[in-house]
Amino acid sequence: MSFLAPLYLLLGAAAAIPLLLHLLRRNVTTRVDFPAARYLQRAEQEHSRSLRLRNLLLMLLRVLLVLALALAAARPFVSALGVGHGPTAVAVVLDNSLSTTAVTGGAPVFARLRDAARSLLLAGTAGDKLWLVTSDGRVRGGTRESLLGELARVTPSEDAGDLPLALRRAAAAVQGSAFPARVVAIATDGQRSAWGTSARADVPVSLLVPAGEPPPNRAVLSVTAEPARWTPRGSVVARIDAADSAGFRVLLGARTLARGAVARGEPVQLRVSPPERGWQALRVELEPDDFVADDARYAAVWLGAPPGVVVDPSAGSFVATAVSALISDGRATTGRDVRIASADAVDALPALLLPPGDPVRLGAANRALARLGVPWRYGAVESAPAIARGARLDGVNVVSRHRLVREGGGVSDTVATAAGEPWIVAGPGYVLLASRIDPAATSLPVRAAFVPWLADMIGLRLGAPAGDVGAPLLARPGAPIRLPAGADALESATGARRSTTGEQMAAPAERGVWFVLRGARRIGAVVVNAPSDESSLARWSAEVLAPRLAGPRARAAGTANRWIGNTFAAGNRRPAVAPLLLLALLLLAAEAIAVRTPRSSAA
Amino acid sequence: MESPPLRADLFDPAALATLGHIEVVARWIVDGFLSGLHRSPRKGFSVEFADFRPYQPGDDLRYVDWKIAARADRWVVKQYEEETNLRATLVLDVSRSMEWRSSAALLTKRSYAEQLVAALSLLLLRQRDAVGLIRFDDAVRTSVPPRARTTQWRRLVAALGEQAGGRASDLAAALEQAARLVTRRGMVLLVTDLLVDPPSVMTALRGLRAAGHDVLVFHIMDPAERDFTLSGEAQFIDPESALAVPAAAADVRAAYRETVTEVVAEWRAAFAAMGAGYELVLTDQPYTMPLRRAFDVRQRRP
Repeated sequence: MSFLAPLYLLLGAAAAIPLLLHLLRRNVTTRVDFPAARYLQRAEQEHSRSLRLRNLLLMLLRVLLVLALALAAARPFVSALGVGHGPTAVAVVLDNSLSTTAVTGGAPVFARLRDAARSLLLAGTAGDKLWLVTSDGRVRGGTRESLLGELARVTPSEDAGDLPLALRRAAAAVQGSAFPARVVAIATDGQRSAWGTSARADVPVSLLVPAGEPPPNRAVLSVTAEPARWTPRGSVVARIDAADSAGFRVLLGARTLARGAVARGEPVQLRVSPPERGWQALRVELEPDDFVADDARYAAVWLGAPPGVVVDPSAGSFVATAVSALISDGRATTGRDVRIASADAVDALPALLLPPGDPVRLGAANRALARLGVPWRYGAVESAPAIARGARLDGVNVVSRHRLVREGGGVSDTVATAAGEPWIVAGPGYVLLASRIDPAATSLPVRAAFVPWLADMIGLRLGAPAGDVGAPLLARPGAPIRLPAGADALESATGARRSTTGEQMAAPAERGVWFVLRGARRIGAVVVNAPSDESSLARWSAEVLAPRLAGPRARAAGTANRWIGNTFAAGNRRPAVAPLLLLALLLLAAEAIAVRTPRSSAA
Repeated sequence: MESPPLRADLFDPAALATLGHIEVVARWIVDGFLSGLHRSPRKGFSVEFADFRPYQPGDDLRYVDWKIAARADRWVVKQYEEETNLRATLVLDVSRSMEWRSSAALLTKRSYAEQLVAALSLLLLRQRDAVGLIRFDDAVRTSVPPRARTTQWRRLVAALGEQAGGRASDLAAALEQAARLVTRRGMVLLVTDLLVDPPSVMTALRGLRAAGHDVLVFHIMDPAERDFTLSGEAQFIDPESALAVPAAAADVRAAYRETVTEVVAEWRAAFAAMGAGYELVLTDQPYTMPLRRAFDVRQRRP
């Protein structure tokens, strides 16, 4: 039994009134003159037994009457007798996240969840309103039969999904219905990392978490190619999560780079100088276990010769010193692949362009930018101090800068901003700074991040072939991504192609490395991996997770049958106000009869 | 011809009491009662002429003086000296319990009983009976010896107006006093609520009956004392004995009514066993019924 207005149950305390009146009758203080009191006394003596029974009966009737009225005021709902259930709005949230592919008891958890969801849909009636919501938040409505068809097409996702989002959408769906019984039925593996603290519903929730412990799991948590472009020397760093030592294999494309075992807690570090060139797929894999989805993780790297860099004296001493360091480290060579100079001194791209030190040369610099096809111009000098925002550049002080004025429609990225305005912009073959690399203009040259940033600009932005992206795009399965300009297809490591119609698109749902193609040439890579949190299979039990999701309105189940029963229990409940009021009337009538009935029949 | 008097004996007692003094009301009641009899209540007319008096409805037409009617166009009847052939004593309970009434719309038991006693006295005096009065509570408060004089009526009315300061009822003592007052065989009319101990009363009554007296008991009762129409939950207090009985009226009403029925039946049986009359009189009843009962008892006397 549940109540819509449980506070009214406090009225039940009024049942103590007839009880107290009965018990305290001998303490009545009201005095009434009645000469025939001797007859009254005689009546009580002669009929004491029947009067006592009658008084008890009256007290009982009155207590029950008060209780019935208090219960009716609290607007109770009780489970109806009989079979079937009343019309119910049910949104079934089926957890098809990657973690449900873990095998327990000889079968993937997902299979058990989907079977339970199918049984629940089959238990629905034509009077019910049903939805099916998957862990990516997609809501499907329709008849029971159409949803059964949809359910059959649902497969485990390659991603962690967003179960709190799915719960919110399911709750919104049932709340929008006019059905008196509304419930969100969740079938999940109870993964702790998937059900964060933000998951909360203000509708009744019926939760299924299959009983059983998750399997022991080994996982590749991350794979990183350092640096992002190998020239051609570089290293692979992978973090492994395993209870003990684990065997691993590192592949570059289809070729095995290394194989071995790593101790618990130790990272895999592999320095290599492979002969392959261009964009290549990296894969680190472990021996298979009961959760195979995280036994391999991917990365992509560009391999090639280091770019040749020439530094014009107009770039300043800090730049020259930093480039010397890069050349000595083998990440750059002396050559004319990349120029670093004041804009007015550059006659060809690729180039890292700086504003001229002499303001008189500003016009020449802008003319040079126009001639090079750079869609930006230097504007007036801005001397207000500002803080830069951008990769590796957060917190850099900017004292003096030129306003960058967009001119033309060429491709361009904003690498960093200052005071909310573009400070460093980049495009095909150019990186344009609004400040001189001089401590008088900015703190960038004296920051530790300066040399790595400069290496990224030379290696990833300017040293790559024209139109190429410097670093791979990292994405979750199905997440939105922005491809480099001119990309017209994605190609998987196995050769499967997927055409693109614009720069904005959803990442492929399959995990792995997808090369970005412009014509037949690879100009970049999209690396699709599930979030590493998904490898943590620690679970909440149904009894623990249910109250976190919906407080006292949640019901937990470890089996499908109980889950289905809990789900439609709300539909089994009927308002009990009318029967209680009828009972109160009957009690009132019985009380009236008992009061008026002569002694013989009352006894 | 005079119009017949109103039947005041059929009026509501409480309404009637508001219309005049007990003496006036008693005359209305008796006149109304006698007009309903259609014959003279009087007995024992002797042969010695005494006086004329105006004709009253119910007078025997044999005693109408037709000559006077023919000459003066008014009806008179001839009166004769008669002997007093009955000595009646009215015994009235004026104890504390008689002061009670359940509603302001009713008379107290005492007011009702006094009005009844006044009417009975007048009715008997009209028959030339000697009428006496004893008022008692826990002691005899008033004792008027039976007389048939014309002044006896006023004396009785004055005695009815006297105060009574006692609390309980000592009916046995009152009956013994009555026995002393009525030396010849006569009639004793007891007007009481009978909230007394039965054994002593029965003993005294048995003595009266042994002396040859007719005894008629009017058991005065408020309607609420019979039906227990009070409501609520309270300590019900007997004003005479201070007996306190806690009860919820609704819960005990049925049992109470059954008990009162038993009590009335017991009184009726006990009085019948000794040859005494018994009449239950409720204070919302008109006076006709008790008067009729007393009249019938009187008529059975020689």
